[in-house]
This record gives sequence, structure tokens and C-alpha cells, in this order.
Amino acid sequence: MPTPAVVFRIGHDQYAVAANTVREVVSDPRPTRLPTAPAVFLGAFNLRGEVVPMFDTAALLGIGKLTDTSIAVVVNTAAGPAGLVVSGLPKVVVLEDEVGPSELRGTFGAYSVDDGIAVLVDMDALLLPHTNLGASAATDGLVGR
Amino acid sequence: MSVKGLERLRTLFAQEAEQRLARLGQLVLELERSEVGDSADVIAEVFREVHTLKGSAAVVGFADVGRYAHAVEDKLGQLRSGSVIPTAAIVDALLVAVDRLGSMIWESVGGHDVDENANSAALGGLDAAFGPTEATEATEAIVDAAPPAVASLRAGRGTGGTRESSGTVMVPVERLDELVRMVGEAAAGHLRVGRVLAERIGVEAANLAEFSELSRVLNDLQDRAMRTRMVPVSTITDSLQRAVRDAARNLGKDVRWEAHGENTELDRGVLHQLSDSLLHLVRNAIDHGIDTPEQRAAAGKPREAVLRLHAMQLGSEVIIAVSDDGGGVNLERVREQAVRRGIDVEGLNDDEILQLIFRSGFSTAKFVSDISGRGVSLDAVRSSVDAARGRVEVRSTPGVGSEFRIIVPITLAVLRCLLVEAAGQRFALPLHRVALAQAEETTTLLHAEGRQMIQLDGLPVPVSDLADVLGLPSTRTGPGTYVIVNGTVGRQAFLVDGLVGQRDVVVKGLSALVPRLEVVAGASVEPDGSILLVLDPPGLIERSRRDSMRSVDDVGTATDQRRRSGRLLVVDDALTVRELQRTILERAGFDVKVAGDGIEALAHLDNEEFDLVLTDVEMPRMDGFALTEHIRAHPSLSNLAVLILTSLASDTDRRRGMDAGADGYIVKSAFDERSLLAAVDRLVGTPV
Repeated sequence: MPTPAVVFRIGHDQYAVAANTVREVVSDPRPTRLPTAPAVFLGAFNLRGEVVPMFDTAALLGIGKLTDTSIAVVVNTAAGPAGLVVSGLPKVVVLEDEVGPSELRGTFGAYSVDDGIAVLVDMDALLLPHTNLGASAATDGLVGR
Repeated sequence: MSVKGLERLRTLFAQEAEQRLARLGQLVLELERSEVGDSADVIAEVFREVHTLKGSAAVVGFADVGRYAHAVEDKLGQLRSGSVIPTAAIVDALLVAVDRLGSMIWESVGGHDVDENANSAALGGLDAAFGPTEATEATEAIVDAAPPAVASLRAGRGTGGTRESSGTVMVPVERLDELVRMVGEAAAGHLRVGRVLAERIGVEAANLAEFSELSRVLNDLQDRAMRTRMVPVSTITDSLQRAVRDAARNLGKDVRWEAHGENTELDRGVLHQLSDSLLHLVRNAIDHGIDTPEQRAAAGKPREAVLRLHAMQLGSEVIIAVSDDGGGVNLERVREQAVRRGIDVEGLNDDEILQLIFRSGFSTAKFVSDISGRGVSLDAVRSSVDAARGRVEVRSTPGVGSEFRIIVPITLAVLRCLLVEAAGQRFALPLHRVALAQAEETTTLLHAEGRQMIQLDGLPVPVSDLADVLGLPSTRTGPGTYVIVNGTVGRQAFLVDGLVGQRDVVVKGLSALVPRLEVVAGASVEPDGSILLVLDPPGLIERSRRDSMRSVDDVGTATDQRRRSGRLLVVDDALTVRELQRTILERAGFDVKVAGDGIEALAHLDNEEFDLVLTDVEMPRMDGFALTEHIRAHPSLSNLAVLILTSLASDTDRRRGMDAGADGYIVKSAFDERSLLAAVDRLVGTPV
């Protein structure tokens, strides 16, 4: 089924998120560091009065670390907006059928885009384990409530 | 009356009923506590409340409610006349009847059918409690009751608009939240305008009367807006009192409830978040903390236990304490449970053991009961208090009782803060936590228990670098400033790059996507659009304490592993320095002797063998250089290592020391435990 998606680069690889979860793309968000937060958090920035956390998308995917924080894609998650740092400006494409499975945690599968392959990312699966919600869900599981 | 008019009247009735029902609940409980002789006034008031409700219900056309209230009123009449005494059973039945009256009113207001079965059940309960009496004339004309009520409504209107204007309006909380948020935004926007004025037009906004006037108005507005969300603690203590009573009766315990400081106000949202926790603490106290009257009597305590709630405001925090005079927390059982759950309890002191009860799944009850201890445990209390950016503490004395304290901010919105700079970033510290600030240059550092301290009012205060505690690289170049903050227990000094100023900060929570960070209390959007983090002093102190314990451990572990040995002679005329070195070196495993100057040192050297001499330079009688020269000139001491420790830092001095024959040189300003041990280790072989 054709899905409109926003495709962005992380290093040399391409990833995609469903277009309806993307709120906007911000350039130069200037995050404030969040001391003692896990490494996936690059900080928090101000989006028209809202405090939005900024994530190292590479670290979230477990494929390295990003240093350039000049462009962020803001996505809506179950726990509010999140900024994902990406390399270079993203573009909107329509994803056709899945061309293969993907292996990274928090991804849905691989799709063909005009200049290669993009892996579709499940934002909630990727972000929630790092949050309060994810942590309490994990505790619940342990305690068996 | 138009349909619209009737609707309006019914809304008013709902408001009136809410207050009257709450009062009724109070009164019935009071009835139970009061002596038979003193209860007449209370009974009279209960009667009046029910009677007024009956009348008002009839006016707005709720005939069912009117009939029911009449039946209850009938029973109350017997109490009033004194033909029946308010026994516990009667109070129980009355409480049920009042509850039922409440639900009936809400059913009617909500346009639902009245549950007649529930009515009969409640009235049946009353009948049973009151015992058989002559049949009541429940059909006595409701109309009779109506006129006085109508009259009083009219009277209310007649006595003028004052009553109406001082009345209450029910406003959805979301609207208030929105208001508070927008006022906050307006204040922040105002600051931004000031900045733009300064940058673009070069006008210092603070000097403009119009600008300052608007600042003042906005401040007031913010203050008032915040206040609209504040409610007194008493809004939840009534239901707590009821819960106490029910739980105590169910468990056959005799409990007196006392509430103090109920007028303490705090943010409705915060209080709401705490109500379940308080309910849990109260039930927990009755279930686990308080013993049966028999057990209490055997322990020499009054049969009636006291369960006390005490609320008070302290700065921008509210403390709500729930204390009982029961048996206290059974530490042995907590310990057993901890062991069963695989927690290492070795080396934990009683207080640390006690804090374990907030861990997930802990319960110290022998049997799981209906009242508490099933499903939820104290960790649920802790997480909901955490969510309100507060904390919970417990104190317990076996046989005497326990106290749980919930400490929360009055509001989550505005906080007066001290702005500081550290690691090249600005941070806000809540001002009510700041004790004082002083320049690094005028501060004397001491060293104790493996960490740096300063002395304040004669008490040692631990010191740490704020950047270190935050895990950020320090960027400080010049001398910094110590900010001394108060924690929940004890103080701590944090070294920052500089002070920026103080101001009110509109605090927002960090996004729900961010895990709780103990050092961060919240964030605020600055006039320039950047984000300012508000730090949490107790969290900072806690973290810094853990960090320093880890570093003391590191030193300890290293010492144990290396098992240093050697005979050292420490020579210094300053007693403190001498003793400090002795402590550090002895702890590291060395055998240490001390001397006050060069002459004394030589006397020691004549009598005993040493591996190393650690000497100060400036001393009376014989200084460190002369001592070194003496040692080098002495044939039997020529192999002895000499380490010079001094405040003289110039190259000439260093050369002079080396010329005199010293093996090493440490400058006092760079002196700490690690560098001292490292220098000593280099000179004295460390056999493993």
C-alpha cells in the first residue's frame, strides 16, 4: 500500500517515518544540554514555547553517534513531540511495497526510494523505551502486575 | 419558569448540594465523636441541612429527592427529640443514607432515573439501626416543606446583589490551566519585547515607566492566576477522615483522626495527584501501623490510637505528614523481604533498610488484607509523589510509631530562582534553597573524609564543582563562586563560574519523553528563545554525595589492592597540615611519624630508620632546605628519599630544593590526597 513518508539521511543511510507523524522540520534548533540524561538525548530546544527533547537518531537506532545538530525532524509521539537530528534536509516520498525486512530495533522494513533503500522507522517503539512511560512499562512487566 | 431558568436553578442547586452534602458528612462524623450530652447542637445542624436540601430539591422539581430527604429527616427527628441515642450503628446507617442522598442528587441533576432500590436499601438500613418505631408519614406533604425553602431563596435574592456577587462560579480546571499558561507566556513575551527594544532601538526597557508598569501588572496577574488553582488541603481531608473511620471499624481498631494545618493551600493539580497517596498512607497506617486496642493496652498505650495529618507550608513547598502512634515499621520483616527479593542488605543501616519499603512490590503485612497491601504498595505512593515533583520520606521508631512525609512544591508553575553559570551553560537554582553565595577567592577549603569542605557557621559543608555533578566538562578559567544550597538534610556548596542574577522563572515540566532526571526540576523558555534548566538542589546534593562516596571507595580499593608499606617522617610546623598528611598516609597503609621542624626531624632520624621524609620548607629553627642538606650530608641517611611540600611555587625555589638534594617537590596549592599518594608512591617502592 503506498504510504507517504518523510525520508532523511543518517550518515550515508536513508530512513523514513510516516508523513502523518511528522510535524515540521527545524533548522538550527540550538538544543540546551540535559545534564545526566542518557546519551540518546542531545538536549531540549524551544519550539514556539514548547520544550521539545532532541534525540541523536543514530544512537537511537544503535548505529553510531551524530555530531552535527543543525537539522531536526519534529515528530509526534504518544508522549509528545520529539526532535530527531538528521544529516541533511529530508524529503517527502511515497513508499510503495516493502522490498525486504529490516533488522534494526524499532524499524518496520526496507523500502525502495529513487536513489536506494530507506528503512521505515517505528517512532514509538524507538523512543518510548527511553522515557518514563517506557521505564514504568518495563517495571510493570518485571513485577508482573 | 422557563426551561432555561429551571436549568440555571438546577445548576445552582447542584452547587449548593455539593457544599451541604460535604458539611453533612462532616457533621455525622462529628456526631459520632461528641459526647451524648453535647450532641444536640450537631443533631440540630444535621437536621437543618437535610431539611434545607429537601426544600431546595422540591423547588427545582426533584420530588424523589424531596421524599427521600423527608424520610431521613423523620429519623433525624427522633434523634433530635432525644428518643434515640446516636450509636455507632446509627452513625453508620446515617452515613450510608447521606451518601445515598448525594448520589440521588447527582442522578437527578444528571437527568438519570433515581435508583429506587438503593433508596429502599438505605432507608431500610436506617430503620434497622433506629429500631422499630411507629410508621412514619412519608407522604406528609412535600409541599409543606417547600414554602420555607422558596421563601429563603427569595429572601436571598431580596437582600440584594451582594450575595450573588460574592458567590462562587464553577470553572473547569482546564480553563484555569490555560489561563495560567497564557499569563506565563505573556510575561515571557513581555521580557522578549524588552530585549528587542534594547537591541533594535537601544532603549533600556527597565527605565521606561510604561514598561515597568506593565511588568508589575503582569506579575500581579501571574500571581492571581496561580492562586485561582490553589485549594486548601481540607478539600481532601474530609474524605480521608471518612476512610479512616471505615478502615478502623472494619479492622476493629480504635483510631482518633486529627488534622492540622488544613487551611494550607497548594495547587489543585498537585493536591489531586496526592490524594490517592494520602489515602493509601492512611489506610496503610491503620492496617499495618496501628495495633488492635488489646495489643495497645498490653503495650501500655491508650486503647485509642491517634492518626494525625499535619500540613504546613515551608517556602515554596508544602509538607504533608501522616503520623501514627502505632508499632512502627517492622525492620526485621523488611529485611527478610529484601533478602527474599535478592537485595543485598549487608552493610545497610536501619534507615537505609527502612527506605526499602518504597521499593516496588514491598509489603510488610503478614497477611494481605482488603484495606491495603494488595496490588499497590508504597512504591505507588513514591511514584505519584515523584510525578508531582515531590518526595516522600519515612521515619519510624519501633513501638512508638511512624511518620510519612510527603513534600511537594506548592505549584509547578512559577519559581523565584538564582541564575548561575557553569560549564558554559546557564542554570536556575530555586532561590528558597539557596543559603548564600561567596567568592572562591575568599573561601578557605578544608579537607575531611576524603572530600573538600568549607566551614559555614562553624559546620563543615561539603564542596563540589557544579559542572562535575552535572557530568559536564568544566569551562571555568578564573576564580568561581560557591553557592551554598540547603537540601532536605544538610547543606552543600557548589562551585559555579559566576552568578547571573535572580528572577521569577515560569517552570514547565520537561517533556514526558525525557526520563526523570534527579538533578533537574524543570525547564523554562528564556526571553531569547533558549531553554533554561531549573536544577533541583536536593537531587544535586544526593548525586554529589553518591559521586564522592564512589571516589572515596576508589581510593580505598586502590589502597587495599596495593597494600602500601613504608616508614615515613612528616615534617611541618602547621599542626593541621601535619595531621592531614598523617591521616592520608596512614590510611594508605604507611607507618607515619611526625616532627614540627628540621631539628626535631633530625632527632627522629637519629633514633629510627625511615624510607621517606616529607617536609615543609618554611619552619622555625631549621627549614626544609637546610634539613634536606643535612640529610644528604649524613653518610647513613644518604639513601633516604626526601619530598618537599611547600606553598612556594617559583622555579628558583624548585631549583633550590633540588640543589639541596630533594627527590621530589609538591606545591601545596595543587595538593590533594591523590597527588600526595602518587608522589609518595613514586619515591617509595610499593611492594604488592
